[in-house]
Amino acid sequence: MGERRFQHSAHNTSTSVFSRYQCAPYKRHNQATTRSSGCKQIYRRCSHQKMTTLTRQDLNFGQVVADILCEFLEVAIHLILYVREVYPSGIFQKRKKYNVPVQMSCHPELNQYIHDTLHCVKPLIEKNDAEKVVVVIMDKEHHPVERFVFEISQPPLLSISSDTLLSHVEQLLRAVILKISVCDAVLENNPPGCTFTVLVHTREAATRNMEKVQVIKDFPWIVADEQEVHMQEPRLIPLKTMTSDIVKMQLYVEERAQKAS
Amino acid sequence: MASKVSKLDEQFKLDAPREKPKDGACSSIFTGVAIYVKGYTEPSVDELRRLMMLHGGQFHVYYSHSHTTHIIANNLPNSKIQELRDQKLVRPEWITDSIKAGHLLSYLQYQLYAKQKGLSFPSVSVHQGQEPAGPLHGRHLPSHSLNNHNPAPSLGQPLPRHHTPTSSHSHLHTDNLHPQPKHYNPLASHRSPHLSAETFPSNPTPLETNSLSANPIPSNYAPPNHDQQSAKVKTGGIISEFYSHSRLHHISTWRSEFSEYVNILRSLIWSNPETIILKTGRWSAAPGPQSCILHVDMDCFFVSVGIRHRPDLKGKFVAVTSNHGSGRVAQSSGVDRQLELQCYHKQYSYPAVSERKDGDLEEITSSETESHISHGNSVDQDTAALSMAEIASCSYEARQAGVRNGMFFGQAKQLCPSLQSVPYDFQAYKKVALAMYETLASYSHDIEALSCDEALVDSSALLAELSVTPDELASAIRADVRERTGCSASVGMGSNILLARMATRKAKPNGQYLLRSEEVDDFIRDQTHHLLATHQPHTQLLCVGRSMGGKLASLGVRSCGDLQQVSLQQLQKEFGPRTGQTLFRFCRGLDDRPVRSEKERKSVSAEMNYNIRFTQVDEAESFLTYLSIEVQKRLQGAGLRGRRLTLKVMVCKAGVEQSNYSGHGTCDSLARSVTLAQLTDCGHLIASEVIKLFHAMRLKVQDLRGVGLQVQLLEGAHSFPKDPTGPKTCYVRDKLLAQHTPAQHNYTGKCVCVCVCWLPQGASHRAIERPLLSLSLQIRHLIPPLLTHAPVRKIVPLPESCPPSPLPALHRLLSQSQGQVKESRHVSQDTCCMCVHVCLCPCQVDRSVLEALPAELRERVEHPWTHRDTERTHNWSHQRPLHPGALVLQIPKQSGQTGSTGIILELPDFSQVDLEVFAALPRELQEELRSVYGHRENTHGIMGKNTLENGPSTSPLQQDDPETLSKFTPCPEPTLAGACDFRDIRTLLREWITTISDPMEEDILQVVKYCTDLINDKDLEKLDLIIKYMKRLMQQSVESVWSMAFDFILDNVQVVVQQTYGSTLKIT
Repeated sequence: MGERRFQHSAHNTSTSVFSRYQCAPYKRHNQATTRSSGCKQIYRRCSHQKMTTLTRQDLNFGQVVADILCEFLEVAIHLILYVREVYPSGIFQKRKKYNVPVQMSCHPELNQYIHDTLHCVKPLIEKNDAEKVVVVIMDKEHHPVERFVFEISQPPLLSISSDTLLSHVEQLLRAVILKISVCDAVLENNPPGCTFTVLVHTREAATRNMEKVQVIKDFPWIVADEQEVHMQEPRLIPLKTMTSDIVKMQLYVEERAQKAS
Repeated sequence: MASKVSKLDEQFKLDAPREKPKDGACSSIFTGVAIYVKGYTEPSVDELRRLMMLHGGQFHVYYSHSHTTHIIANNLPNSKIQELRDQKLVRPEWITDSIKAGHLLSYLQYQLYAKQKGLSFPSVSVHQGQEPAGPLHGRHLPSHSLNNHNPAPSLGQPLPRHHTPTSSHSHLHTDNLHPQPKHYNPLASHRSPHLSAETFPSNPTPLETNSLSANPIPSNYAPPNHDQQSAKVKTGGIISEFYSHSRLHHISTWRSEFSEYVNILRSLIWSNPETIILKTGRWSAAPGPQSCILHVDMDCFFVSVGIRHRPDLKGKFVAVTSNHGSGRVAQSSGVDRQLELQCYHKQYSYPAVSERKDGDLEEITSSETESHISHGNSVDQDTAALSMAEIASCSYEARQAGVRNGMFFGQAKQLCPSLQSVPYDFQAYKKVALAMYETLASYSHDIEALSCDEALVDSSALLAELSVTPDELASAIRADVRERTGCSASVGMGSNILLARMATRKAKPNGQYLLRSEEVDDFIRDQTHHLLATHQPHTQLLCVGRSMGGKLASLGVRSCGDLQQVSLQQLQKEFGPRTGQTLFRFCRGLDDRPVRSEKERKSVSAEMNYNIRFTQVDEAESFLTYLSIEVQKRLQGAGLRGRRLTLKVMVCKAGVEQSNYSGHGTCDSLARSVTLAQLTDCGHLIASEVIKLFHAMRLKVQDLRGVGLQVQLLEGAHSFPKDPTGPKTCYVRDKLLAQHTPAQHNYTGKCVCVCVCWLPQGASHRAIERPLLSLSLQIRHLIPPLLTHAPVRKIVPLPESCPPSPLPALHRLLSQSQGQVKESRHVSQDTCCMCVHVCLCPCQVDRSVLEALPAELRERVEHPWTHRDTERTHNWSHQRPLHPGALVLQIPKQSGQTGSTGIILELPDFSQVDLEVFAALPRELQEELRSVYGHRENTHGIMGKNTLENGPSTSPLQQDDPETLSKFTPCPEPTLAGACDFRDIRTLLREWITTISDPMEEDILQVVKYCTDLINDKDLEKLDLIIKYMKRLMQQSVESVWSMAFDFILDNVQVVVQQTYGSTLKIT
C-alpha cells in the first residue's frame, strides 16, 4: 500500500520547486472539462441549476462522483472550521445545504483557498486516486491536534441505476454534515491559535496529476512533512460511514491524546 | 486525425451491440474505463477489444493522453516505461480477472512493472514516520533509500502475509493453533523484504533434512532406489504411502488425536443430562486465587519407552536413533559430504538442535549447544565417515556425558563410546502416550494435549473438590502414570501455564516441583536466563525466537531479570503491542492463557520432502493434484474449508550433490500463496489453483526436492461430506417427532420453523456443538418456546429450572430427547441427522399462559414477536443477506401468512442427504428441500453454490433470477452469526450477554472476528457503536467474566485498528 501525502499549506514555501512546470499547457485539461459539461450541471459548486436526470450514456462516472464529493467536502471543511473554532465565528454565515443549516465562511481568501484546494483534489477523486482527504487542525507549533479524515473508496458495485436523482446520496451526505456539526460533543477543545491544512493521501501513480492541476492554478502541492503527518498517541473517533451506490466514504476524527501541550 | 479517432469510436460503439448477442455474458463493469493496448498481449488485441465491447468499456486504437484511462501491456521496453511511468500500466489479466470476478477490480495488483513505479516514487512504501520530505520526483534519489524503502520485490507476488512461522513441530501435517491470532503477526507487520524471505520457508528444513533422511526405511518400504521411487511419484501412490509410513507424521498427528480424545472424554459427560449442570458449573468456575496448572511431562519419553522392557539398559547411556551399528557408515562415492555438512552448519548454526518431538529441549543450554557446533567442526574430518543418523532422544546419563538430542549419532558415539542405541518403536510410543492420557483423564478433563508426551492439566477445580494439596495430587498422578506406563513423568505446578512449565524444568528428571507465588520472582530471575539466551529455540516457553532474541540482545537484554527492567512501552515499540505485552507479562511470570482442550485449527497442510525427483512437468502436476487430494481429505476430515492456498517448494541448491538419494538435501525454500474467491475443500479446485501457482514460479521440475501445500483462513463447514464407506445412519428425528410434535400441534397447530443440520460422520462433541451454537444464536427468537417443548401449560414451572443460556438448553433438550442415541453416536460415530421443530406463532400462543409467566420471561417471548412484526412490515426488504450456499427454510402456516424468520443453515450436497431421513420428513419440508435442490442444480454450473431463497412469495428476492443474485454479491457485508443489521446485532449481543453467565471463548472470538471484519470493511461507525454497546452491557454485568471478556475484545480490536489506522479507538 504505497501512498503519498500531499498538503497544501497557506504559506507557500516551496512554490519555487515547481515553478519550472508552470509553462506546461493546460488547454487539454480545460477542453476535457468543458466537453463533458453537459452532464455536469448537477451538483455544481454554488450552482442552483435544476437537476437533470442522469443518463447512462455520455456520463463519466468519475466526474459525477468527484463533483458530488468535492461539493460536499467544501461544505464539510467550512463547517469543520466553524465547529472547531479555527476561525472566529464572526466570519461565518448561516446557509442551507442538503436541506440543513450549515456555516460558511465569507472571508474571500479563505474561501478561495478552500476552493482551490478542492479543485486540485477533484481530478484525483475522479480517477479514484485519492484515498483520504484529511483536514488537519494544528496547534501553534504546527503539530497536528486533530485530523478529520474522509476516507473515500469505491463501492463494490458502481451504479446509479437505482438512484437516478441521487436523493439517497444526498440523504447520506446530510447525515455526515449533521454528524460534523455535533462532533464537538465528542472532541476535546482545541488550544487557542490553531491553523489548518489539507492533506491528501493518494494512491500510487497520482503524482503527475497533482502537478498538472496545481500548475494552472499556481497552487502547488508539496509532500507533507513528517511533522505534520505524525500525531502523538492518536485517538480515533469514528463519526460516520456512508455506503451509497456511487461512493463509499467514512469520516473519522483522530485526536491527540493531550491537546494542551 | 481527430476525425479519424472519433470515427473509430463511432465504429466501436456500433460494433458493441452487434457483439453482444453473440456472447450471452455481457455487463457494464468497465464503464468509464478506456484502454489502449500496447504491444503484444495475451489475450490478443482483438480479444481485448471484444471484451471491452461486451463489458461496457472503451477501446482506443490511438493513445489519448486525456481519455485513455489504462494502458494494457504484457511487457514494454525500458524507454516506453520511462515515457509512460505516470500512466496506469496494467497487465491484461486485470481485464480478464475483472470479468471473471464480475466487477471492476483494483488495477493496483495488476500493475505492470511495479518496480518501476516504486523507483520513481521512492516513498510509496514508507511506513509513517520515515518519509523523506524531498522533491516530488525522486528521480535522483540515492539508491540506498530505494533499498530500504522499496517494497518492489514483494509487489509482483503477494507475500504470504498471514504466515506465522510454522513450527517444525507440526508442519508435516496440520498446524494447530499458533499462539497468536492469525491476523496479528509481529514479523509480518514489520517485515522487510529481506526478512520475509527468511521467516517462512526456512523453518521446516532442519527437521526435514535430518530426521527424514536419516530414519530407517520400514521393512515393507521399498529401498530408496531412485528410479523406482520416481515411478511411484509419477503414479501418485507414494503420497498416501508416504503418509502411512512416515512415523514422524504419526507422532505429529498424535497431538490432534489426543486433543480429540480429550474432547471425546468430555463429550461423554455431556451426554449424561444429569451431570450437565454440575459440570458446567465446574468448568465455568473462573480460575480463582488457588488456580493451579499441572504440566505433566514424561522423562525422555522415547528412551524410557524404548527401555521399558529392557531393564538391563536402565541407567546406561542410551540414545534413540535409527543407527544400530558402530556409528559409521560406508561413504558413498561422488558425494561431497563435507560440503553438505558445511552447508548444514552454516544454515543451522543458530539452532543446532532442531526441535525434537520429545519436548525435552528446554534442558539444553546455549553454551552446550555452541560447544556442540564447534565440536562438530573440529571433527570434520571424521564426521565424513560417521553416521549422520540423528539422536531423537537420549537418557539423562547420556546427557551428562555431553550427548544431546539432535546430535548426529556418529559424533555422539565419539563423545561417549559406551552409548547404546535403541531403535524407534512407534507402536509403543502410541500405546504409552495413550495410557498417559487415559491416566490424566481419570483425574480431570481439563487437559490440553501439548504433544505425545506432555500435557497441561487445569487442576484448580479438582483440588478444590478433593481438598488436597497440589503436591499430593502430583505425586498421585506420577505414581499412577508410572504404574500404568512403566515410565516416569515429571510434574511442574504453577499458578499459570508459564510457571508450570518452568517448574517442570526444575522437577526433571522424575520429580515434581511446585512453583509458589512467593518465589516466582526469584525463580524467574535465576531460572529463565537460559530461556533468553540467543542460541536456543525457546519458542516453547517464552515465545522468543531467533530474531526476537537478537532484537532483545540488541536492547541489552540477556536474562529475564534484564527484561523486567525494560518498560512496556519500549517492548511494545520494539515488538508490536501484542508481543510486547506478552513479553512484559511473561518475564514477570504472568500468563493468562487458559488451559484449552479445544483448539481451533489455523491451517491444514500436506507436505512431502522425501523422494521428490521429477523429470517431466506433467509429473509435477499430477503430484500436485494428488497432494491436493490429500489436503482435501484432511480438510474434510477436520470439517473445515479454507480460502488461502500456499504452495511451498524446496529447490535444490545448484551444484550441490546429495548424499542421500531420497532426501531433499540442501535446498532453498520458496513459497507462493493465493487467496481464493470462496471457501473450498475441493481437491480439484485446489489442484488447479496450485498448478497455476506452480507455473507462475517458473521452476525447473528437475530441481524440485520438496512440495508442500497449505490451506489457511479456515472456516468450519456446516455441511460435511459423507464418508464413502457409508456408515449406518441413525437419526433422532423419529424420536423427536414422536415425543414433541404432537404436543406442539396441540397449541400451535403447525410447526413454523424447521432446522436441519447434518452432522458429520465421526463427529466429536465439538462438531455438534458448533452448528448448535450458531443455531442457538440464530434461533434466539425461538428459544423460549424451545424450552417448553412440553405442552404450553407446563411453561410456568419451567423458568426456575431452565438453564440460563440457550446452548445448555439445547443440549438438555437434545440429550433428553436423544438419550441413548447420542450416546451411541459417540461410540459408533455414526452420521446423525437432527431436526428441531420449533413453534412460534404469537397468535396461537395462549395469551393467558403468557400473562402467567414471570415478567422477564414474558419479555423474552414477546420481544421477538414485535421485532419480527416490524421486520415483516418492511416486507423483507431489510432481510439479512445470506451467505452463499445458505438456505432459508420456511413453511407457510396454514392460513397462508408469512412464517417466522427462517433458520439459516448450509445445505449439504444432495448426494449426502440420507434418503431415509428425507422420506421421513413431513411432506411440506420434503417439497421445500426438493425444490431447493432442483434450484441448485440449475445454478450449480454458474457459481458452485448460489444464494438461494426459497421462502414464501412475500420475499422479493425470489422473483430475481438467482443468476443475477449470485453475480452481484461479490463481497458480503460482515455478519455476526448471520446478522448484519445493527439492530439485529444489538439484539444478539444483548441476548448473549444477559442470558449467559460465562461467555464461551468461541463466541468471544467470533465477536472479535466480526469487529475485525468491520474494520476491514471500513465501517468504523458501526464498530464504534457496537463497542460502546458492549461496553455498557458487559461492564454493567455482575459477572466479572464479562468485563474481562470486554477487555479482551477491546484489546484485540485496538490492535487491529492500530495496525490499520495507526491510532487507537477513543473509548469514552
